[in-house]
Amino acid sequence: MTKLEIKDLSMRYQRKYILDNLNLEVESGELVVILGESGCGKTSLLKVIAGILEHETGQILVDGNDISHLSPQKRNIGYVPQGQILFPHMKIKDNVTFGLKAKKLSKDLINEKLDWIVKLTEIKDLLERYPYEISGGQKQRVALARSMVSNPKILLLDEPLSSIDASGRESLALTIRRIQKETETTTLYVTHNQEEARLIGDRVAIMYDGKIQQIGKIIDVDRNPLNFLTAKIMGSLNVFPVSFYSINKENDGLVILDTTIGQMRIPLSGSKIKKKITGIKIPPSEVKIITLQKSKNKKQENIVQKGLVKSVIEIGKNLFRIVVEIQGENIEYLKVDTEDKELVKSLKANQNVTLEISLEKVILL
Amino acid sequence: MERSIDKHVEKLVMIIALIALFSFLLSFFYLPLIKILSFAFQKGDSSDATVFSVFWSTITQSSNMRFLAFSFNQAFISTIICLSFGIPVSYFFAKYKFRGKDLVLNLLTVPFVLPPIVVLLGFVITYGENGWLNIIWKAIFQTDRSLFNIFGTVEGIIAAHVFYNLSVIIRLMIPAWMNLDYEQVEVSKTLGVKNLTIFRKIVFPQLINFIVSAALLVFIYCFNSFAIVLYLGEVKYQTLEVRIYKLIKNSLKFTEGSSLALIQILINTLIIIIYLFFENRTRQMARGKEKGIKPKPIKLRNTPLMEKLSFLFLSMITLFVMFFSFSPMIAVIIESFIPFTKGISPLWGYITLLSSEYMAILGNSPFRMLINTILFSFSATVITLFFSLLIVLILRIKYNKIRNYKHSIVENFISYVIILPMATSSITLALGLFLKYRTTEVYLNYVWVLIILSHVLISIPFATRSILAAYNRIDVEMLNVASTLGASRLFIFKKIEFPLIVKSLIVGGIFSFAISLGEFGATNFLVRGNFGTLSIAIYKLIISQTIQLPATMASILIILTVISFLVIQKLGDIELKV
Repeated sequence: MTKLEIKDLSMRYQRKYILDNLNLEVESGELVVILGESGCGKTSLLKVIAGILEHETGQILVDGNDISHLSPQKRNIGYVPQGQILFPHMKIKDNVTFGLKAKKLSKDLINEKLDWIVKLTEIKDLLERYPYEISGGQKQRVALARSMVSNPKILLLDEPLSSIDASGRESLALTIRRIQKETETTTLYVTHNQEEARLIGDRVAIMYDGKIQQIGKIIDVDRNPLNFLTAKIMGSLNVFPVSFYSINKENDGLVILDTTIGQMRIPLSGSKIKKKITGIKIPPSEVKIITLQKSKNKKQENIVQKGLVKSVIEIGKNLFRIVVEIQGENIEYLKVDTEDKELVKSLKANQNVTLEISLEKVILL
Repeated sequence: MERSIDKHVEKLVMIIALIALFSFLLSFFYLPLIKILSFAFQKGDSSDATVFSVFWSTITQSSNMRFLAFSFNQAFISTIICLSFGIPVSYFFAKYKFRGKDLVLNLLTVPFVLPPIVVLLGFVITYGENGWLNIIWKAIFQTDRSLFNIFGTVEGIIAAHVFYNLSVIIRLMIPAWMNLDYEQVEVSKTLGVKNLTIFRKIVFPQLINFIVSAALLVFIYCFNSFAIVLYLGEVKYQTLEVRIYKLIKNSLKFTEGSSLALIQILINTLIIIIYLFFENRTRQMARGKEKGIKPKPIKLRNTPLMEKLSFLFLSMITLFVMFFSFSPMIAVIIESFIPFTKGISPLWGYITLLSSEYMAILGNSPFRMLINTILFSFSATVITLFFSLLIVLILRIKYNKIRNYKHSIVENFISYVIILPMATSSITLALGLFLKYRTTEVYLNYVWVLIILSHVLISIPFATRSILAAYNRIDVEMLNVASTLGASRLFIFKKIEFPLIVKSLIVGGIFSFAISLGEFGATNFLVRGNFGTLSIAIYKLIISQTIQLPATMASILIILTVISFLVIQKLGDIELKV
């Protein structure tokens, strides 16, 4: 059981900070998913922890000991890079035992460890084959076995499910989760895919600008994203950036927002704005499609928006998601969830509709 | 702490490797080059002479200008003819699949790796004044006039150059067709674009980088041609390479020779830099594409007339090129069994080759020259591989790179340091070594050392590029993973890098062996006393008009080269490129 702490880690490449005073704590036996867009520095972070890349300042503490000065060989960190990288000229068996042989363990011990990892990762049938003879998913299992066989203190996984076909992705994700739980290995799992993060992580850390911007349980980050970008990275629906806002403090207060789907005047009802507003989030269930007649009766505090129906998808039992295109400065898509079957039946592609958004339900980010 | 020890070891290895490499290049390439410079810029005798006077008067001398123009013109014409035949033949091989295709293709490439002196002999036997073609021509038409005269004619020189370099175009253009994005052609057809427009707008832009890089390569080989022009050109036609040789060896005009060598290096460097630019673009274009022309079996039934005509045209050219390429090689082997005078055995050549008897014309025994050839080639190969591997290790010792990695200053510097030997012709290399060491013990008593080292300098660019190509295919991330698994730098080299480059190492080795085996220019320049090789023997014997013994020697070289080449083909692809 190992705790990983990263303190004030910085790394530059060609004068640009890839990691900028980054801080992160991973508890013993925990799996933290680092979620961020491509090029945000996730892979560099893993490589710095593994000792492959050097950082400029900061500490990498494993159980309180700084390992920054150790070579990758001495860190005992398992690293599974992106893209199923195996040694092409070695059989699977030799791939898995490579690290054990490098450490000059006895044959008996190597065989014992091999038996254990083979059972755990279910790769018994592959041992005598070469990497080019097995599938992508199998290669990733072997890569995982190779890094886990020497009982690493920390496991680093870099987009392990990318380039695996859809059918194998979930099963591999669950295998990774099972092995991680059984071995209680402290793990950092890097991905840009929110679905993976939801499937596998104990906690999720949102990364951009070389920093971990928000960390927490997935449900918490989902409910209370730090800002527009965090919500976008988490894959939240109906999030739109705010380009300008002003606060009117008269009466109970009002905030006027310029968003990509138009201007909004949201009542503050006495509450105070504590941070900079970067975007808005409109829960799909809080948007209604209204007929022309109903629109005359709309509540005064709500806003209406016109759009074109683009598609209707059934997302659950009697639950439909309608995608509506809104044309402003840019084209945006607003998702509307409804159980109204009659409404769904009456909709046609490219039909003009009017949307009513409950302003009190709009979440400021 | 431990990390810094590892880094110190890495640094130490790097420094030792750099010192070894640079002392070698400095002693046997750069200092000799400086010597050439010092001769080129020697102050003349007159009172108003500057350091540039002799240099300037040499390069502006009308005969030298004429030879420079000839070098350009013949190289240009040879390149155009090579392209005209090579491109259709490469298309034929890319388009059609047939039995024995690989063998034919490999045999077509053999002329390129043959020693020039063997090519020359093959040409003399096939197309010479008393060659087979002219004998048949005279017999059929009952005439005394030859069909073809290769001595002292531009046609002869160009034909030999085309024979020698056609394979370069064929080899380099096949990947161009294979890498062609054929889906673009299909999409254009569905858009109703005419075939000619498709070729002009879609196909040609994809081929042009390959064509230019292959053409530049052929141009530089023809521009620096030595043995062929030395013999066939007589006095009238000389390339710069031949001119430099004659100025130094025949007229002892060191200053003039050095000035021309300098001009030649400058021209070569310029062409090589342009070549590397285009070659790099072909590599970028080839990356990740698998949609090119897929070879199909030859099928003529139920095919449109145009398709049939195209097949006919391509196959005729291919057959002609095959005949043109194979006949001199076959002629040499057959000639080695034809007694040169009545009453001697067909095996006379082979028996004489193994005899230790002194032959006045060779100044040595044939057997000693055979042994010299093999020993020199073997030593040159070992040294070449050592330095090539050293260069590759220096370039690749630091493997932990991030994705958009930029080349370090050291890497860029080394790349330029090895370009210069690439741009230096064999005669210039030998000239440098000669000028630098001619008064020393090495030249006077151990000239074999200089001969071997000149072969090493000629082979290093080929071997290095072969190994580097394999090394660059190794995924850096794989080495990173290995290090996180606890493997030391040495263990990683032993278990991962070495097994993955070993084939290219063998290919590089065999290739340098083949180059050294038939090297003529530098050897002929430096040779003294008992240290002649088979190439030198063949040259001396062609002049003496006794064909059976040189044909035997050339046959040995052909057989060894063909075997080497077939082994290379079994192991992987050959880097014809410099």
